[in-house]
Formats: sequence, structure tokens, C-alpha cells
Amino acid sequence: MITFDHVSKIYEPDIVGLEDVSVHIERGEFAFLVGHSGSGKSTFIRLLLKEFEPTEGTITVAGRNLQRMRRSTIPYHRRNIGCVFQDFKLLPNKNVAENVAYALRVTGQPGRVIRRKVPEILQLVGLGDKMYKMPDELSAGEQQRVSVARAFVNHPSLLVADEPTGNLDPDTSVGIMQLLYRINRAGTTVLMATHDREMVDKMRKRVIALKDGRVVRDEDKGLYR
Amino acid sequence: MKFRFFLSEAMNSLVRNWVMSVAAMVTILVSMFVLGLGLIIFFNFQDVISDLRNKLEIEVYIKSTASQEEIDALGDEIRAMPEVKRVYFVSKEEALERLRKSLKGNEDVLDALSGNPLPPSYEITLKDPAQIEEVASRFFDNPLVDNTPGSDPPDGVKYGGETSKRVLRVTTIFLIGGAGFVVLLVLASVLLVSNTIRLSIFARRREVEIMRLVGATNWFIRWPFVIEGVVTGIAGAAGATILVLLTNKFLVDKVIKNMTFLFSAGAVPVFKLTLFLILSGTLLGALGSALALRRFLKI
Repeated sequence: MITFDHVSKIYEPDIVGLEDVSVHIERGEFAFLVGHSGSGKSTFIRLLLKEFEPTEGTITVAGRNLQRMRRSTIPYHRRNIGCVFQDFKLLPNKNVAENVAYALRVTGQPGRVIRRKVPEILQLVGLGDKMYKMPDELSAGEQQRVSVARAFVNHPSLLVADEPTGNLDPDTSVGIMQLLYRINRAGTTVLMATHDREMVDKMRKRVIALKDGRVVRDEDKGLYR
Repeated sequence: MKFRFFLSEAMNSLVRNWVMSVAAMVTILVSMFVLGLGLIIFFNFQDVISDLRNKLEIEVYIKSTASQEEIDALGDEIRAMPEVKRVYFVSKEEALERLRKSLKGNEDVLDALSGNPLPPSYEITLKDPAQIEEVASRFFDNPLVDNTPGSDPPDGVKYGGETSKRVLRVTTIFLIGGAGFVVLLVLASVLLVSNTIRLSIFARRREVEIMRLVGATNWFIRWPFVIEGVVTGIAGAAGATILVLLTNKFLVDKVIKNMTFLFSAGAVPVFKLTLFLILSGTLLGALGSALALRRFLKI
């Protein structure tokens, strides 16, 4: 699903984002990306989304080489990747339903599909009764659920989460993790960057540990340590 | 289908960001208003100038010895020149009549004359007054022209000479200056409007970033902004046009009435002006939005 082949990313002038990282994640896998702030987790994810180019190496996502991808096709690439962020990134001027619908609209789905799918997915994340609330009327946990719903409504083959529980209290975090777990069980590859030790230890999934931009550990059913 | 979505997106954000929408609208209104006033002034001056220029004409005086056939032949020759706009024949009698009128009150001076000493003449107006000297010179050596022997330039042809050159020079400077002024106004409004729109889009750059991350294509993001710009532009320009036309009606018309010797009513092509202001307002809004968005679409 994801292959990083000797990837380095140096930010101008000489700050190391990633250094010689080679990682392969299979389709359907659930993997944690752990490490301190500045260890390269976000760089890893932003490279996946092709927000910028690696300084060296090649990245392949779902069989497509990102270096050979034209700028104009980046949006189509991103539609295959659901994204969940620490700060939710909801459109502030749209209500819950419209936020989820936007991800469908960009793919050109007709209105009748949107009217069917949006309530369905919001039901799934437990927000069936908050469809017409604005983001700022929701709790942090609820906002993150909306964000997960938006990421998953297109049924992408890959779901990427950058510190999705970073702004949430432990109980709410568990709820979000359960959602991601269910999404993974349904066949979607999930990659989650986090420094939530408890969560990683509880899940016993693959752990890829980064330090100063290098992979220092990569083990199945691993612990945070 | 898609257009309806874009339209409703545009309308929603116009309403939700109404402070910014109003700011952009007022900016377009003000700059279109100033531009419109500039154009009114320009049109009026252009009118005065073209009036002045049209007053430049060539007078060709004809020898009293010339026969009617010769006079008619000269008239046909003049009419055949491509530069000529209008030719008017002034007979001896009409010349005397004009003189009598201009002497008003002192007509008895004419009684001292025996007969009519005034020569007949042709009055020639040109399509382009700038060619006046060149055309006038064609008559210098014509044997029918009533030249005083040895006069240089020949006094049988009158075309203002130095004066006409000066009028042409001064009016040309005025026209170029006026056009330059209008161009400056256009530039100023483009800068002002694009700056305002950039501010309003800058306030929404996070929104644009999120749209990109969800997989929206650039045009999917751009269309609502462009429609928003068009709506803002039309609204602002319409307001400005109304103000400009009212100003033209009440203020300028009053000035014109008191200075009919200089200005003529109807110098401003109202329909064209309206069309121009509305179109440029719309274009300004649409382009302003599209261009201001550019740097936020690079993620």
C-alpha cells in the first residue's frame, strides 16, 4: 500500500525532516508511527499526501509513484486517502453534514448519493442527531468524529491520521480509536502518527518508531516503549 | 447541477463573510465611481477639443475674373479629395451679407463702397484637422485663387497657419494627458480592488487549505470564489454607475447650462459608460478573486 524507498527530506536550509527512511506497509495493515515531536512523523504524512516533494528517494502509494504524478492529478490522489488531523480541519462555515458532504462533492457525486451517504456515515460515528450543528457547537471529540466521517465517507483504501487523539481526553480518545479500528477491520489500511503511549500499548499493532528523522524500530504487535 | 452548488457556495460565503463582502463591494464602488467621474471629465474635454478642432477650416478665395464653370470645376475637385469632410461655397452676395451682419449698427460703412468688392470663396472642413496645412498648400499655386501678387505664403488661402498648429498641439497634449489620467485611474482601481479581495481571501486561507487536502481540484475551489467576485463586482459597479449618472445629470448638466459656449450637453455616451463601468467592475471582481486565490492553491 505504502512504500518509502530510501526517502530523505531536508527542509531549507538544512533541517532534517526524514533521513534515509525505507518502510513498507501492506494493504489492510494497521500501523502506528511513533516518536517525539520533531521526529519526522508529520513529514512522513505530508509526503504521503504530496504536500511537498522528498529531497531524495521514491514514495509509492497504492501502486503509484508520487514523483511521477503530475500536479493536476494530486487532488485525485488525495481522494484515495482519508485524512484525520489533530486540529480536525473542519470547514468552519459549514455544518456537520455539509462538511462530510464536501468530500463527496469534490468527487462529483450526485446529490441523491450525498443525501443517502452522509446520514449513514454520521450514524456510524454516532453523530446522527448532530447533522445540522456547526463545528464550533460541538465538543472536541465530536469534531474529531466528524473529521473521521469525512475521511471515510469516500471509502478510501488508505486512512492517515496525524495525532488524531492529541487534543482529546483519554475517554474520548478511546472512542476515536475504536472508530479507526473498525475502519481497519473493514479492509482499509490505517496509518496513525501518535505519541499516545497508552493507546499504542493497548492496541498491540505494528509500531514504526522515528527518531531525528530515522526509523529506529519497526516491529509487529509492538509497544510504544 | 455543479453550477448550482458553486452558486450556493458563493452566496453562502457572501452572507457568512458579509463584512468582507461589503468591504470589497464598497471598494469596487468607490474606485468605479472615481473612474466614472474621470471618464465624464475626459469625455467633456474631448468634446470641447473636437469642437475646437472642427472650427479649423480652410478658406479658398477665388478671383473675381473666374467664370462660373471654373468655380464649379474647382468645387468638384475639392469634393473629390479624400481628406475633405465638407465643402461650402460662399458667393459674393453671401460674403457681403455676412460682413453686413458682423458690422451690425455700422452698416452705413458699406454704403461708401461702390458695388461688391468681396471675392467668392470655398470653406473646407477636413476629416482630420491635422492635415490642414498639407491640404491648404495644394491651392497655393492654383491660378483661380485670389492671391495678392508676391505674397508668401499666398494670402488667397487662409487656414490659420501658426494658430491652427498651436491649437492642434495643445489639444493633442490635452487628449494624451486625459487618456493617461484615465489609465492611471484604472490602474489604481485594479490595485485597490485586488488588495481588498486578497485580504478577504487571506482570512479564509485555512478553508482553502482544507479543501485541497480533501481532494478538491483547483477549479472546484476557484469557481465559488470567482462567482463571489462577479456578484460583488456587479453590485459595486451598479452602485457606482448610478452615482456617476446622477452626478452627470445634476452637477455637470448645471455647469454645461452655464457654459454653453464651452461645453455641449450629451458629450457623455451614457450607454457606453454604463456598459464599461459594469463590465470592468465584474471583470475586476472575478479576476481579483482568481488571482488572489492563486498563491493559496499551491499546497
